[in-house]
Amino acid sequence: MSSNPLPSNTSRFEGCTLTGALSITTSVTGSVSIVHGPSGCAHHNFSLLHATALEHDGVDAPSIISSCLSENEIIFGGEAALERALARAASLNPACIFVLSTCIAETIGDDAGAVCRVDWGVPVIPVQTGGFLGGVFDKGVNNALCTIADTAAPSTRQGTVNIIGEKNLEYEVEENHAELSRLLSALGLSVNIRFVHHVSPDEIAVLGRASLNVLRDEGQNPVGDHLRARFGTAYLPSFPSGLFCTLQFLKNVAAVCGVPSHPAVTMEQAVQEEVLAEFSDLAHTRIALNGAGLAGSSCGIAREVAGALTMKVSPRGCRVPLPVSPPVGTAGIRRMLHRWRRMINA
Amino acid sequence: MPECTNPLWPCAMTGAAAALSGFDGITVIIHGSSGCYYYPATLLHAPLQGTFIMEEEVIFGSEERLLQVIKEVSAPGTRVAVVTTCVPSIIGEDIRSMLASSDVLLVDSPGFSGDFEPGYLKGLLSLEPRVDDQNPGINIDGVSLLDPFFRGNVRELTRLLNNAGVPVATVFCADAVEKVSHAAPFTVTTNSDLASGVGRTLGGTLGLQDLRATFAAIGDRIGEADIGPVLREIAVKEEHIIQVCDKYLRRFDPPRAMIFGWASYAAFTAAALMSYLDADIAFIGTRTPILPDLPCPVERVDSFSRVRDLIIEYRPDLVIGSSFERSVNPDLAFVGLTPPLRGRVRLASMPVAGVEGMLHLIEGVLNACMDRNRK
Repeated sequence: MSSNPLPSNTSRFEGCTLTGALSITTSVTGSVSIVHGPSGCAHHNFSLLHATALEHDGVDAPSIISSCLSENEIIFGGEAALERALARAASLNPACIFVLSTCIAETIGDDAGAVCRVDWGVPVIPVQTGGFLGGVFDKGVNNALCTIADTAAPSTRQGTVNIIGEKNLEYEVEENHAELSRLLSALGLSVNIRFVHHVSPDEIAVLGRASLNVLRDEGQNPVGDHLRARFGTAYLPSFPSGLFCTLQFLKNVAAVCGVPSHPAVTMEQAVQEEVLAEFSDLAHTRIALNGAGLAGSSCGIAREVAGALTMKVSPRGCRVPLPVSPPVGTAGIRRMLHRWRRMINA
Repeated sequence: MPECTNPLWPCAMTGAAAALSGFDGITVIIHGSSGCYYYPATLLHAPLQGTFIMEEEVIFGSEERLLQVIKEVSAPGTRVAVVTTCVPSIIGEDIRSMLASSDVLLVDSPGFSGDFEPGYLKGLLSLEPRVDDQNPGINIDGVSLLDPFFRGNVRELTRLLNNAGVPVATVFCADAVEKVSHAAPFTVTTNSDLASGVGRTLGGTLGLQDLRATFAAIGDRIGEADIGPVLREIAVKEEHIIQVCDKYLRRFDPPRAMIFGWASYAAFTAAALMSYLDADIAFIGTRTPILPDLPCPVERVDSFSRVRDLIIEYRPDLVIGSSFERSVNPDLAFVGLTPPLRGRVRLASMPVAGVEGMLHLIEGVLNACMDRNRK
């Protein structure tokens, strides 16, 4: 049926909608996420999210309830199992309950929406998922962000900035956030909310107060469009990455928020010069960009940084590692250069 | 099946994949979506393949896609095994007929059909293991890529059997696939929750008492075996264990322990702690339905919320289990026994079975308890 063979049809490898959505919903504090499917689906995701929490030095386990569909429900329908899971979740008195479907529930045709519309005494929010039947990982992330955004009402803007769609499973998520906050504070701006990264429903309610939304990456443009339509908030399509683009980011944010950019840009140029001076010993080193085929955007940044340090990029050079996602801001470049130096000196 | 909060144990599909991918000469294809593929691929650290089916295959059929992937991964000297996930199992395709004319192995082990262990056994038995009465060695079973200690267990039992002059026959499931059809008539097990049922079992290898009995049985059954060196090693090492545990008890109270994991691992650990440290085993939570007969509360515990409630209720000072249990209260002394063990770097191949397994357990328990007592 598929016209594309294994290697070229990359959409096949982009993960599960359910995992993407859970990476967002489980970051709403005080909430419970129900996975309507076999317990294995919930276990796979709980294990992944738990491991990620440990990597981030956290100990809080996400709260996920499985409707535990087994052969019986697959034959006779799983709506009663979803009702039991909802009753259990409601008994925990959460701030809200997210209901996420799986490919197996979609295949057997359960009407999860109808079960969610019953009054459970707490807000029940169905999120469009459906495992691979719902799309891919990023689609799950975007669906969850748009669904949760709809719980907030428009409000008056207060000159702050929202950070939208942080990759909650990313190893460097906190470091990337710290760098973005540093750049914003250089412009005299503060973060309104991290949407959605460990925020409560009360905090989400003020989503519309920001003057600007900064998206994690361009794959979230549909979320940026959704938020602009709902709240009228402008957005920038990605976190800053690269020497030139980090400076340009400061100018773009300043322009949208109506603040002067020159002092912050001058200060950041000085920071970048300090970083490049710190790694001046790498000048004229010959490097090969490791994994360039997998990290195209990181490759572009790596070439820019190598050029700034007068390093030579050559297939016969020392293979240096590239970040999976492009390094964020000047701090991201500094960490990347430490990894390069370790590899070059190894 | 009742609803469950934060389920802790992998599904039958992962079990089948773990059994089959442990054998060299088998290429395992997970027939399902990328979401179903990535979990066993990352958990088992095995080179699994996937069909990565999408919506169009669910609607119009997955035959063409499956055959395409089988063709791509087929190679001389390897046999392809297809493990089905939930959706392909229920959409009504006759995959068995589809593959009837080929040498491809089909294991229908969808996640909704049960837990890891039945899936593991189904995967193993799909290879149709056979006993060769002329094989002079002994099989090792209970080995699974899911187990963080599987490699250490195989190395330790290989060492002990070699010290007794007995060759290792087939390792279920971490061996060359050709050896599955020439297994020895006798088997020792590292984990009875994953017993293969292949060959006559001579006993377990968890704990020095079982190890002694098992090697005595080996001496009785295998004429060429010289179990003397192994029995002497057990005696010497046990004396070391007694000495260090006695020294610990001169300063500290015995630990009050809760143990979570496979029933066989949990029972062995409890017996060791009671025997050498006079420990109070407050509670045993098994991941599997089989409950060991021990003088303490024992229950099947397969959800994180239950683990949390139990640890709060029983107030142990030592927790033995997985990183799930560890995260409930990181201030408690903790020893890793059960998958997954996340958040720690683990490079060496440490065992649970055999003499070294017992030493590793006692060492871990004493160090964890002393570190906590000194806080």
